Amino acid sequence: MIEIRLHGRGGQGAVTASRILATAAYEEGKYSQAIPMYGTERRGAPLVAYVRIDEKRVRERELVHTPDYSLCMDTLLGMQQAVADNVKPGGVVLLNTPKNPEESELAGNIKIATVDATSIALETLGRPITNTAILGAFVKVTGVLKVESINKAILKYYPGRVGEMNIAAVKKSYELVKGPVQAKNKEAPQVKADLYVDGYGVLKDVSSWRVFTPKIDESKCTGCKTCWIFCPENALEWGEDKKPHMVSRVCKGCGLCANECPVKAIEMVRVEI
Amino acid sequence: MSYEVMVGNKACATGVKLARVKVASAFPITPQTTITEYLSDMYAAGEFDFDFVNVEGELTSQVVVQAATAVGARSFTCTSGPGLLYMHHPMQETASKRLPLVMAVVHRGVKGMQPDHSDLMSQQWQGWIHMYVENAQEILDTCVMAYKIAEDKRIRLPVAFGYDGYVLSYTAEPVEIPAQEEIDKFLPPYKPMPSILPGEADPATFARGFGDADPQKPWKIHHEAALMAETVIKEVFADWAKRFGRSYGNGMIEPYRIDDAEAVITAMGTIAGSAMSAVDKLRADGKKVGLVKIRSFLPFPRTDFREIAKKIGAFGIIDRSCQPGMGGPTWHQMRSTLYDQPGPQILGFYAGLGGKEVRVDDIVKIGEKTLKAARGEKVEPLVDWV
Repeated sequence: MIEIRLHGRGGQGAVTASRILATAAYEEGKYSQAIPMYGTERRGAPLVAYVRIDEKRVRERELVHTPDYSLCMDTLLGMQQAVADNVKPGGVVLLNTPKNPEESELAGNIKIATVDATSIALETLGRPITNTAILGAFVKVTGVLKVESINKAILKYYPGRVGEMNIAAVKKSYELVKGPVQAKNKEAPQVKADLYVDGYGVLKDVSSWRVFTPKIDESKCTGCKTCWIFCPENALEWGEDKKPHMVSRVCKGCGLCANECPVKAIEMVRVEI
Repeated sequence: MSYEVMVGNKACATGVKLARVKVASAFPITPQTTITEYLSDMYAAGEFDFDFVNVEGELTSQVVVQAATAVGARSFTCTSGPGLLYMHHPMQETASKRLPLVMAVVHRGVKGMQPDHSDLMSQQWQGWIHMYVENAQEILDTCVMAYKIAEDKRIRLPVAFGYDGYVLSYTAEPVEIPAQEEIDKFLPPYKPMPSILPGEADPATFARGFGDADPQKPWKIHHEAALMAETVIKEVFADWAKRFGRSYGNGMIEPYRIDDAEAVITAMGTIAGSAMSAVDKLRADGKKVGLVKIRSFLPFPRTDFREIAKKIGAFGIIDRSCQPGMGGPTWHQMRSTLYDQPGPQILGFYAGLGGKEVRVDDIVKIGEKTLKAARGEKVEPLVDWV
């Protein structure tokens, strides 16, 4: 059985990519399964999908915990060690980046391949939707499926002109992918972002989703609790000082609190990377 | 026949289309919502003509499909978790009026959004037939078969079939779609009862006790019909297997590698799929453990389990729900089923409640503990949380 993990952000098409892979596998007479990891994902937030391909009908329903391949559709996410975590020894991590695979800092007994899928997507589709632009590279470096079956699957999801544009992206990424080469770093760094959670029903750490983060000016705050009432994620705790305090792990940075505050005591400030 | 890699909810919508449903009504709730979205897509594309009734809540959606079924339209509704609880009141009426509609329950827990079986399990007293489904192909097949079972003159009872939300509702996998002509040969058009008016209706098929001297009689007739469902389910599944070449055991249970098993695990829904991989792992280790996937919870497959119990040393029962203060419903059913015959030890396991992921290795451990009990070793505790 072949197991694949896909990383991306909401809107980049990771879930569709997983379904295209599953469809292409079935076109080749194999059985498959495409699992999206659903939580409170939204556009821009990191998300994960999984694919299984096997000769017989796939019956197990656990998530993929030790993938053979990990694909990352987002350049910044691809710099996080989490995209290489638990990949089987000798497995391939395929990144969307203009850099060479030798430059990646990802660590482990893994091989790294790179392709500039964002540029390819902008050229062929006119939009930075990188899901199909990474699939051609995937086929080239892994040999798991044939380009023709990927193209056939794409046409099932996007018939006509849009399909042809995506097929052009596949062709280009097949030609331009670099690697795979052995990762230069062996030991993973201690500090890492939590991009995905193994399991359903587990509260996620969503702190890495924030582009903007609420900053509370306590001198302006009147303690009216409006922010506390409106926060959809219970990310504001009420302190003994009768002021709101943000719980970093839970806040997605939606900005509702700042919008609702009647005295404008909350400001959304850009998160520095 | 064609195929498509589709998610569980689309397989359900496709089943509804193939069954030529005339009326559907539902209120959106995750993870059920996309079923109606797929139905709308089919309508918009001109593939499927039906009436959809928008309602303000699940209680009304159940009442709408009741009325539609009563006047002769094959009807469908679907819901999840708290939505099903809101349907509780009219569901009783659906079964008492013996209206053979079909409902998909896309499992969602009641202590959170993630899946477990506490939603459908909480409706045990409603007089419906309850089935639990494991994969997307089985959703499509079961949806069509459910109409044939529900509309059978011998039972005329509504059928609810459940499948795990998220894990199955949103997972895409290859599904074979039978040709419409073949389905039409299998499932004839729905015929309503001759009359639904009090005084004219046959109490056997309209068990409300109108004008009957014995107010207990409708319950007796209802119970007998529910028990009769076992025969009907087995017939319908055998017919399906003959026509379409796909079978799910005998419809009541789907056994997997139990022929020479010393111990048998039982599971329902998607956990049963993972349990098949677990059994393969145990077998590769020389451990003779088998699996019985329970497809029909109501009626409970008593006859089948009484036979299997004669050949094995222990059952390991996996429950994906728990009635606080009472315990796992499947575990209780199994112990009651086997009480009056000498038989195996019956261990209980809670797994996957609140959507907790059930991994293949968790089930391997369940299998090993059950095998130990089968060999006469003392195992503690009798019921455990995985």
